[in-house]
Amino acid sequence: MKSSLWGFVGFGKGLHGLVHHLLGGKQMKGIKKKIWAAGIAGALIATVGLIGNPTVAASKTTVNFFTFTSVPDHVKDLAAMVAAFEKKNPTIHINVQSASYADYFTKLKTRVAGNQTPDTFELNYENFVTYAAAGTLLDLNKASKKDVGFKKSVYYGKAYDVFNLRGKQYGVPSSFSTVVMYYNKDLFKQAGVATPTAQWDWSDEAAAAAALKAKLPEGTYADFQPTQFWEFYKVLGQAGGKFLSADKKTATFNKQPGINALNWLVQKTTSGYTPTKAQMGTLADDAMFKAGKIAMYHSGIWLFDAFKDVPFGWDIVVEPGGVTPGNHFFANAVVASAKTKNPEAAWKWAKFMTSDPAAVKIRLAANWEIPAISDKKALSLYLSKTPPANRAAVFEALKNPVTPPVIRQQNEMQDTVNAWLEKALNGSVSVIEALNSAAKDVNAILAKE
Amino acid sequence: MRPKFFTTLFGILMLFPFIWMISSSLKNSVEAFATPPTLFPKAPTLENYRNVFRALDMPRLFFNSFAVSVVCVFMQLTSSALAGYAFARLNFRGKNAIFLIYLATMMIPFQVIIVPLFIEMRHFGLIDSFLGLGLPMIASAFGVFLMRQAMLAIPRELEEAAILDGASHFRLFFSIALPLCIPTLAALTILSFMSVWNAYLWPLVVIFSPEKMTLPLALSNLHGENLTDWPMVMAATTLAALPIAIIYLVLQKQIAQSFLTAGLKG
Amino acid sequence: MLAAGVLSFTSWDLLSPPEWIGFNNFKELISDRDFLNSLRNTLVFIAGYLPLVYFLGLAAALALNRKFKGSLALRAAYFLPVVTSWVIVALLWKWILNPNGGLVNSALSAIGIQGPGWWTSKNWSMISVIVPSAWKDLGYVMLILLAGLQAIPPEYKEAASIDGASKRQILFRITLPLLTPATFFVLVVSLINNFQVFDQIWIMTTGGPEGSTSVVVQQIVKNSFEYGHMGYASAMSMVLFLIIMIITAVQIRLQKRWVNYE
Repeated sequence: MKSSLWGFVGFGKGLHGLVHHLLGGKQMKGIKKKIWAAGIAGALIATVGLIGNPTVAASKTTVNFFTFTSVPDHVKDLAAMVAAFEKKNPTIHINVQSASYADYFTKLKTRVAGNQTPDTFELNYENFVTYAAAGTLLDLNKASKKDVGFKKSVYYGKAYDVFNLRGKQYGVPSSFSTVVMYYNKDLFKQAGVATPTAQWDWSDEAAAAAALKAKLPEGTYADFQPTQFWEFYKVLGQAGGKFLSADKKTATFNKQPGINALNWLVQKTTSGYTPTKAQMGTLADDAMFKAGKIAMYHSGIWLFDAFKDVPFGWDIVVEPGGVTPGNHFFANAVVASAKTKNPEAAWKWAKFMTSDPAAVKIRLAANWEIPAISDKKALSLYLSKTPPANRAAVFEALKNPVTPPVIRQQNEMQDTVNAWLEKALNGSVSVIEALNSAAKDVNAILAKE
Repeated sequence: MRPKFFTTLFGILMLFPFIWMISSSLKNSVEAFATPPTLFPKAPTLENYRNVFRALDMPRLFFNSFAVSVVCVFMQLTSSALAGYAFARLNFRGKNAIFLIYLATMMIPFQVIIVPLFIEMRHFGLIDSFLGLGLPMIASAFGVFLMRQAMLAIPRELEEAAILDGASHFRLFFSIALPLCIPTLAALTILSFMSVWNAYLWPLVVIFSPEKMTLPLALSNLHGENLTDWPMVMAATTLAALPIAIIYLVLQKQIAQSFLTAGLKG
Repeated sequence: MLAAGVLSFTSWDLLSPPEWIGFNNFKELISDRDFLNSLRNTLVFIAGYLPLVYFLGLAAALALNRKFKGSLALRAAYFLPVVTSWVIVALLWKWILNPNGGLVNSALSAIGIQGPGWWTSKNWSMISVIVPSAWKDLGYVMLILLAGLQAIPPEYKEAASIDGASKRQILFRITLPLLTPATFFVLVVSLINNFQVFDQIWIMTTGGPEGSTSVVVQQIVKNSFEYGHMGYASAMSMVLFLIIMIITAVQIRLQKRWVNYE
């Protein structure tokens, strides 16, 4: 690929060399003809491709929307939203471009670097600071202040505010999700242990895990919770600690609450409640729960549909708190490019896609994440679906959100912490050593913020 | 004939992933995740293939991938053969230096040049177009190297005889060098096709419109953020691998035939 | 390519314009534990992979060079893993090497040995990547060597056997020496490509556990797109490039000693 320029050189050199030593004129004409024919054929194919580019009517404004959440299951739902929007706003055309989550940020960053930032696109909370701090995003306050009918209370309180950085509103929340504790009713019954309630705390969970382990067969696990960054910062919140200092200049996760949090996670594996990677082998954790091999399972609410048809009874409950309750708060937002030529149209689309009743209805009907709106009546549609029966636990969890620590060098911080957590989990270093080393590394990163 | 026995045995082992892929694509979602996994599906179903066609615009994707592959492979073959001959038989200033530069282009991971390349293509207005997609793939340093080695291995006596007869480099290239290199050309065709057909990073970054996507891109979009329909992905992957397998089978026969006829009539 | 060179002297997060910082990237690289670790892992990978894939590919090419019943089908069979995506090959090998009741560990426990954690174990992870890689790529090596074998005029071998040479002598005195251009090619290209090994690592182990399979290109990808240190990643790629270039140049120099062109 990269050698195309040199390919030209070689091609030219080769041709040049041959022509140079040419003697037989007729043959050359024949071959030259073939080469030209091939070249023209190639050019034709390419041109057809170029021309096949549909052009939009000149009177319409086109707004690009780059997304990862619609892929793979909700492409049609997004198309329905776009159709509804275009009906209300006939002068605006939304051009949807998508990529899978794994590829999304590579593609996005390349586009930004090449000055081809999409007019509107999606970001999850962990990544938004990186882009906001670099000046990539449009301050939506300008457009929203002009928009008379708009009230920020249409969004679920915290969800709107988390996308505000230093007084500027960089995004509108499109959805949120959280992590709960799933439990396998049949396994609990089999072991004769009482099922979890919303009042449980860590000690109740530990007692249940021990009781379950004693009674359940080999290969079945009592309490699955992985030891990694996303679980750690939340468990830290449950232990009453904070990941970073208030001014975000120092890591504070290696203080006592952090030690308690990491110990809580690691002992689940060392006590045999959570399988090691070797014990899991080729099975993913959700596959294990589906196969009935996990009694208590900490995971995201996006798995509800995946567990629809399992042969055992299950339900969810708010995760047991430690010193205090604390639950994940994940949110996605629609943001706009600071360089977009259509800021008004971009705002209209962002607002529509995230909060318009028509869009919300499509989203809820399609089970496409939870819209980040505050309208309880609209959300009741979500609550009334089963399984699981206890969907109220989701909103219970949102009462005590632990937002992730987010800095500009987010990925670097996550990877660094994960590397040390892994070492602690494998026993290569002690819990205290892992936390102190991680704090040291994170402080070095924070110094460069 | 013991070697033959082992070769056949090993050959069956080599077939394993392909069989696995096809068998997984025919399993329904319950059997797909059964432990221990079954080799052949007990209740084979075409449901995954139906899902693939429902989820993706397969005809268009196949056309896009084919169009780009055919054009680029042809260009790669032509430029590689010509340049390979030039490096093998011609003498020109700085030959070895230029050859090293060719090789040098293979030594930098594509991930590093993807952004500069993107910016360059944007300059030419070729973003989200087939021309922009194919342009970086019309030449192959690997191909040049391969053809150079093949042509260097041609016994000089054959050429010397023709030179005495007054043949130009041109005649030598087309009448002697190229025919003797047909096995290598066939190998290069397969490898070039594979590399262009499976190209992923560049199409990912340069193509925006869904209707211009190539197959590997669309396949990757089948993976959700948290969940993936594995049986359907297997079906899609099987379909994507078919063209290469077919081309290989077709070309393998050609090589065998040409070997018999090329004979070496001096 | 030149752009990558220039970029290695900058700091660029891809979102804002690049900033010139001179040799700082290179200075940082020298003490970067992760980078040095990835370099070591890459060398280990090559040391294990290269001999394995070459000898397997050679054996296959030699065995399938003659035309016998089913040889074409077998050639296709050997090439199929090359054509299959890493997603599937990785799944297959993870199933074979499953520490929890996979083929290999079950067989081992039948004779009383406890199998290692394979890709989940710090010590065995590299082997768990090397073996599938060699297995997958041997068809590719076979293809190139077959093309080379088929270009050897059969008269040479016929003449030799008429002269009374044994099969072994023909192999070592005629076939292999005449195969050296193709061998040289396989060596050079394999080295260049596998110094940049990435896909299988990413799919099978994502560089773990505990960085035991982290390779250079993975560090480059992480630093460029994930961390937004494009300049630093470019500097890494420059170092990698230099290493590969030097090794290749040495190989080209040495080719006069052992490669037989006519």
